Amino acid sequence: MTDIKPNIRLKKRYRAEVRFKIYCASALAIGMIILLTLISSITISAIPAFTQINISIDVQLEDDDIQTFKENPTDVSWRTIQKKSIYKMFPEITSRSDKRELNKIVSTGAYLEIEKFYNRNRDLIKQTNKIYVPAADDIDLIIKNLTDRDLPENMRTISDKQLSYLDTMIEEDRIKKSFSWRLFSNGDSREPELAGLKGGIVGTLLTMFVTLIISFPVGVLAAVYLEEIAPKNRLTDIIEVNINNLAAVPSIVYGLLGLAIFLNYMNMPRSAPLVGGIVLALMTLPVIIIATRASLASIPPSIREAAYGVGASQMQVITHHVVPLALPGILTGTIIGIARAAGETAPLLMIGMMAFIVDIPTGITDKATVLPAQVYMWANNPERSFEYLTSAAILVLLVILIVINLLAIILRKKYERRW
Amino acid sequence: MPDMPDENYKIKTNDVTVDYGDKRALHGINLNIQSNQVTSLIGPSGCGKSTFIRCLNRMNDLIMGCHVNGSILIDNTDINLPETDIVELRARIGMVFQKPNPFPKSIYDNVAYGPRIHGLTKNKDDLDHVVTKSLKRAGLWKEVSDRLDASGLSLSGGQQQRLCIARAIAVNPDVLLMDEPCSALDPIATAVIEELINELKERYTIVIVTHSMQQAARLSQKTAYFHLGEMIEFDDTSTIFTNPKHEMTESYITGKIG
Ligand SMILES: Nc1ncnc2c1ncn2[C@@H]1O[C@H](COP(=O)(O)OP(=O)(O)OP(=O)(O)O)[C@@H](O)[C@H]1O
Ligand SMILES: [Mg+2]
Repeated sequence: MTDIKPNIRLKKRYRAEVRFKIYCASALAIGMIILLTLISSITISAIPAFTQINISIDVQLEDDDIQTFKENPTDVSWRTIQKKSIYKMFPEITSRSDKRELNKIVSTGAYLEIEKFYNRNRDLIKQTNKIYVPAADDIDLIIKNLTDRDLPENMRTISDKQLSYLDTMIEEDRIKKSFSWRLFSNGDSREPELAGLKGGIVGTLLTMFVTLIISFPVGVLAAVYLEEIAPKNRLTDIIEVNINNLAAVPSIVYGLLGLAIFLNYMNMPRSAPLVGGIVLALMTLPVIIIATRASLASIPPSIREAAYGVGASQMQVITHHVVPLALPGILTGTIIGIARAAGETAPLLMIGMMAFIVDIPTGITDKATVLPAQVYMWANNPERSFEYLTSAAILVLLVILIVINLLAIILRKKYERRW
Repeated sequence: MPDMPDENYKIKTNDVTVDYGDKRALHGINLNIQSNQVTSLIGPSGCGKSTFIRCLNRMNDLIMGCHVNGSILIDNTDINLPETDIVELRARIGMVFQKPNPFPKSIYDNVAYGPRIHGLTKNKDDLDHVVTKSLKRAGLWKEVSDRLDASGLSLSGGQQQRLCIARAIAVNPDVLLMDEPCSALDPIATAVIEELINELKERYTIVIVTHSMQQAARLSQKTAYFHLGEMIEFDDTSTIFTNPKHEMTESYITGKIG
């Protein structure tokens, strides 16, 4: 009898432990499934946005165009040249409305490619050149089989006539599918086939740069003061509670603050990474302060005593021992904060960074937008191609965030491994 | 022993009291410590030995709410005066802690840290020399000479404690305060450190806190017995252990208190 009881207890305990392990593993599995579904659905719908359909047109400049090009290249009417070249490919089309429809097969920005070609190849102005120009967005979808061409005509954006022109072009082998580099080299555009992310990427990098150079030093120094230097009294308690509260303030509040102080009162430029960076730095500061304090507090007091014991000053104890040992934690906190800021849109709405901006910013005071803002704006555009572009933009944003986090892990490992 | 003239005392404390907040930990300690001797502090746990020893290099400044009163003279200068340079004081009064606490840096850097921050050496050769000398004096050189770049934390407990001693003597202090330096060590490592203390007393004034009566008896010339924040008795070690004047001392060393 006495032998059986512990045996039953042991079995019960084993079963309980197995159950516990299963709960933990299934929790992890649920998380992984959600994450995988999210990433794979985004990736799948982003794929079409990474290729683009180009149509080759034969361009022959006329004598007076060549003349103007030589004398004053900016005066050349590339749009007219584009139209003429396309019409020449279909001499049988004469009516004006048919011609207009034909011209709509290529992107409204097709002339830009022609202009670029001649500016690069000035020695080819006399001959006929085969130049690839982007197809219009709805043609792009037809060729990628994302629009059903068997739908009745009134349910498509493309007329039967346009389809027949397109088929002729396909027969003449004028259609080419290529990787869509312009996704990374163009700024924003109303035309899906011309829209790119470069503005958002550069804007995000500039904004994060400002955020980092403000929030990292200020956050770390403030945390060092609170944790290592300030006496522990009621005032520091109040400050601590308030910093914890600040970390929980909705991010749009920081945007309102930025609008009121930096734009309206200090007259800083609207829509600029400078202001966006400062606003996001304010938002990131409490995160960095809290992470740094936690990390400083975890350094054993014996290290401090050892350093004071050989006659180090307080500054030496902090800069030689405490902060270097706390660095992995400090970096992790900083990068979590920065990554959160990089995905933020609400505060930027208030200071005008959620705007349609075509030019690529070149400095922190230029007008700019950021990637998450571009995701939001693209998602609101009516053209169907923007659906795919939105997913592509999300994917690019995710990749940037993953790179930031990887950086955190590498830095962490580097400093942890020292001993 | 005839009364020594005042100047021969390295450390003189007069009516030192220490409060942690509103709790008094030391009640008026008067203790004079001579140069080039080992002075042991013994007494039951919580009687204030660590508190006292930490007054001597103002380590208690680091503890919030800790107040030290009374005068502590080292080389006839009050160390609690506002104009005292704490950094210079702590360089002069080295300390070895109860738990070995090497920096998480290389063995070399552990020992070199003090000389570096105080600018004691002119060049790398000089520094190498100081590091070697300190490690040799701490009896650690033979064991680590081929791996000075290894982490201080990769050493055994006893080696770490000797590394801490090397680190303390590298800044060339006059006084060495040791708070239970052997409490975490086995008898062999303890013997090594005791031997070391015996050698070191030729150069330094040593104050050691210990829970081992035998250690106090073996090492020290003078012994002070503390009880509940009071110093009960202070005399030559031989007197304390063979003929204590106070009965509390006697019951402690015979094992009735503690
Ligand atoms: N940081 C502190 N804050 C408050 N009280 C303290 C602090 N350090 C020590 N004390 C108190 O002061 C008294 C003396 O402590 P101390 O550490 O000096 O004892 P000790 O003689 O070194 O004991 P042990 O032999 O156990 O190390 C104890 O009652 C202790 O509770
Ligand atoms: Mg103690």
